[in-house]
Amino acid sequence: MATMLFIFATSTLHSQQIDLLLKGGHMIDPKNKIDEQMDVAITNGKIFQVAKNISPQQAKKLIDVSGLYVTPGFIDMHVHAFNGTDVDAYIANGLTSLPPDGFTFRAGVTTVVDAGSSGWRNFRLFKKQTIDKSQTRVLAFLNIVGNGMVGRFEEQDTTDMNPQQTAYMIKKLFPDIIVGIKAAHYWGDFTQVDRAVVAGNLANVPVMVDFGEHQPPNSIEDLFMKHLRPGDIFTHTYSYGPTVRETVVDDNGKVKPFIFQAQKRGIIFDVGHGGGAFSWRQAVPAMQQGFQPNVISTDLHAESMNGGMKDMSNVMSKFLNMGMSLHDVILRATWNPANVIKRTDLGNLSVGTEADITVFNVRKGDFGFLDIRKTTLKGTQKLEVELTIRAGKIVWDLDGMSAPPWEEELQKK
Amino acid sequence: MLLWKGRTTWHAIIVIILFIVLFTPSVIRAQQYDLLIKNGHVIDPKNRISAKKDVAVAAGKIAKVADDIPAAQSKKIIDASGLYVVPGLIDIHTHVFVGTKPDKFADGIYSVSPDDFTFKSGVTTVVDAGTSGWRNFPVFKEQVIDKSQTRVLAFINIAGSGMSGKPLQEDLNDMNADSAALVIQKYKDIIVGVKIGHYEGNDWTPFERALEAGRQSNTPLFVECHLPQYSLEDQLKKMRPGDIITHSFEQVAERMPVVDERGNVRSFVLAAQKKGVLFDVGHGGAGFWFPQAVPAFQQGLVPNSFGSDLHRFSMNAGMKSMLNIMSKYMAIGMSVEDVIVRATWNAAKSIKRKDLGNLDEGTVADIAVLSLQNGRFGFIDAAGNRLEGSRKLEAELTVREGKIVWDLNGIAAKPWKQ
Repeated sequence: MATMLFIFATSTLHSQQIDLLLKGGHMIDPKNKIDEQMDVAITNGKIFQVAKNISPQQAKKLIDVSGLYVTPGFIDMHVHAFNGTDVDAYIANGLTSLPPDGFTFRAGVTTVVDAGSSGWRNFRLFKKQTIDKSQTRVLAFLNIVGNGMVGRFEEQDTTDMNPQQTAYMIKKLFPDIIVGIKAAHYWGDFTQVDRAVVAGNLANVPVMVDFGEHQPPNSIEDLFMKHLRPGDIFTHTYSYGPTVRETVVDDNGKVKPFIFQAQKRGIIFDVGHGGGAFSWRQAVPAMQQGFQPNVISTDLHAESMNGGMKDMSNVMSKFLNMGMSLHDVILRATWNPANVIKRTDLGNLSVGTEADITVFNVRKGDFGFLDIRKTTLKGTQKLEVELTIRAGKIVWDLDGMSAPPWEEELQKK
Repeated sequence: MLLWKGRTTWHAIIVIILFIVLFTPSVIRAQQYDLLIKNGHVIDPKNRISAKKDVAVAAGKIAKVADDIPAAQSKKIIDASGLYVVPGLIDIHTHVFVGTKPDKFADGIYSVSPDDFTFKSGVTTVVDAGTSGWRNFPVFKEQVIDKSQTRVLAFINIAGSGMSGKPLQEDLNDMNADSAALVIQKYKDIIVGVKIGHYEGNDWTPFERALEAGRQSNTPLFVECHLPQYSLEDQLKKMRPGDIITHSFEQVAERMPVVDERGNVRSFVLAAQKKGVLFDVGHGGAGFWFPQAVPAFQQGLVPNSFGSDLHRFSMNAGMKSMLNIMSKYMAIGMSVEDVIVRATWNAAKSIKRKDLGNLDEGTVADIAVLSLQNGRFGFIDAAGNRLEGSRKLEAELTVREGKIVWDLNGIAAKPWKQ
C-alpha cells in the first residue's frame, strides 16, 4: 500500500513536471546548432527540456506542432515604441511611435529594442509609459541626444549630446534595459557619432547609427573604418536616397568593396526597413554578391507599419525570397541580434532560458513583397506565425491550435 | 513671302487648334480616372451588386462601377481577378481613445490606435464605443480622430468622462443628457450616437439619461454590457427600434446570455430583434462565445454588424481583427454576401451614415479588396475554445478616400527590375 502510494505520488509529480509541451516541430535554434525535429518542454516560464521525444504523459498541456517550425522568439532590434500623446512631437512621446504589443506577437516577436526614441532626459517617461506596461520585452538604445527623437530640429543640438549623462543612465540606472546608444538624424559632420562612441566606451555598449540626411552625404567608409568600433551597428543598410545618404551598392549595381571589409572588421549591418530605408535595387544585388545583413529588423513606426514593411515576419520573408536559407533568416532574427546587444540570455532555446518561443509555418503561394520605392519582388514563401509564447505564456494563437474544440467544452457542461 | 509665311503660321495654328479640339477630350478621358480596379467580384449590398465589375476612382471618389471600364481611361490599373471588391469595412465597436494613462481606456493604454489595425483588415471606418464622454471628447478628437488616417466616428458615453474607470464613470452627477446632446450637435459629423455601459447601480437613471440624449440628438443608443443590475429583458424593452445592443453573444455572470440553458434563444430576445433592436457582435476579449453564437445563428438571431470591440485585451486574443470575426461567421455558416452586408451597408445604416458602406458613384472611395483563402483554419472564442473552418478572408488592398493605404502583396506596385 505504502509502495503504491509512493508510486502514485511520484507519477503524479512526474506528470506535472511540464507545463507545456510542443511536440513534433522542426526546431531551428542556431545557438545550439539545432536544425531538426525536436520537442521542447516548458516549466515555470522557462525552457525545461529539449529532446527528440519527450513523453506527453509528463505534460499538463500538449500542443502538436508537427509540420511547423519552432524557434526562439524573434528579436526585433530596431523599433520605435515610445508612443505618447504629444501631438507636436515626432517620435519621443509622440504618435509616430507605436505600442509594441499590437505588432510583435502576431509576427513572432517577443523582444523589441527601441532605437533611440528616448534620450537620458525622457527615458524614465518611456519606461513608465510603455516599457513597464508592455507584455513584449522592451529593451532600448538610448539616444545620444538627451531629448531623444522629439523632432528633427532638436536632434541637431550638440549641447544636448552628453556622453557622460548617457553613460550614467545606462550603467548606473538601467543596465538591464538599455543595451546601446543611438545616433541619428544629424545634419552635420561626425560629431554626433563620435559623442555616441564616447558614451559607448564609457558604458561598454554598442552604438547604432542611422547615418543620413547629410548634404552632400558623409563618407560611410570613414564611418566604418575611422569612427565606429567593431560591434557597432549601421542601420538602414539597404536605403536608397543617394543625395543625402551614401549607399552600400554603387550606381553600377556593385557592392562597394569596403563594405565587405567593414563587415569583416566587425561592423554590424542591420536592415532597419522602416518607411524609407529598404529598396530592392540595393538589397537584391547585395544578396547576389554575397553581402548579407547581420541582423533583420523592422524599424517599426506609424509610417512603416502599413507600407512595404508591415511586420517582422514580412521582412524576414523578403530575405527568404531573395534566397537566404530559413536557418540563416532565423539566425538573423534570434541569436545574432542577441549577441549584438550582448544579451546572450535571449534568442536561444537553451535549457533554463526564459521560454520565448515562436511557432510558424512557411506558407506557399504567389506572394509579392513591396519595398519603400513601391516596387514588388515576387515570391513563393511567406512566414506565418501560428503560436507565440512569451515567458511560457501563449500570447498569440492564430488558428487556435492550443484551444480545445468548443463542442467538447459544451459537453463538459 | 511674308504673307505666305503668315498663312503658314495661321494654317499651323488652325491645325494645332483642330488637333487640340479633336484629341484633347480623348486624352483627358484617357486619364479621367486615378485608379481602376478591374475584374474583381464586386459585392455592394446597397446596390444589390454581387458580380464581376470594374470600379473606377477619381479625385478620391467612386467615379464609376460598370461591367467593363477600358484600362486606357485610368492612370493606374489594379487587376483584382479572383478577389472580392467591397466597400471599405465599418467596425462599429472599437476603443481607440489611446493615451498614456495607465490602466484606463479613456486617454489610456487600454485603448489602441486605429491605424495600427484597420487597413490591414480592410477597415476604413471605426466607431469608438463611448471611450470618451462629453467632457473629454475634445481631447479624443485632437489626439486621435484628427490624427488618424482611418475615419474615426464615435458613440459618446453618457458618463461625462467616458471610460475613465471607477468611481468617475459611475458618477450620476456626471451623466448629463443635455451636455451629451450638445456635444453630439457640435460634432455631428463625428458623433453617431450615445453609449451606455459600465454602471453597477440598479436604478435606471443612467439608462434614461442616455436615451434622453439619444432622443434630443436623434441618434441611436449603443448598449454595452457591464450593467450587472439591469435585467436583459428590461434593457431590450427600453431600447427603441434602431438602438444597438453589443456583446450580443456574451456568456458571463454580469448579463443574462441570449441563449438559455437548454440552448434556445430566449423569446423576448427574438421579440426585441423583431421590434428593430440591432444586435452587434462586439467580440472583444470576453464578448463572443460559440455556445451562444452558434445556436443563436441557427435559430435566426443573426448579428446586424460585426463590431470587433478592438482594444488592448482583444487584439491578440480570439478576436484578432474584424476579418477574423467575419471569417468566424463564415465558419458558422454565413455566406460571403451576408458577411459583407453586415460589415458595410448594415453597419452604415445602423449609425445613420448612409454616405458610407456603399460604392455609389460620388461616394468617398473607401474600398476593400479581399481574398478568400481556402484551407484548414481555426477560430477562437472568449472561452478559449476553437471552431474549425475552411475559409478565411484576407485584405489584399485597402483604399481610403482614393488613396492606397494597404497593399499586402504589392498588387498596386510595379515589379522590381534590376
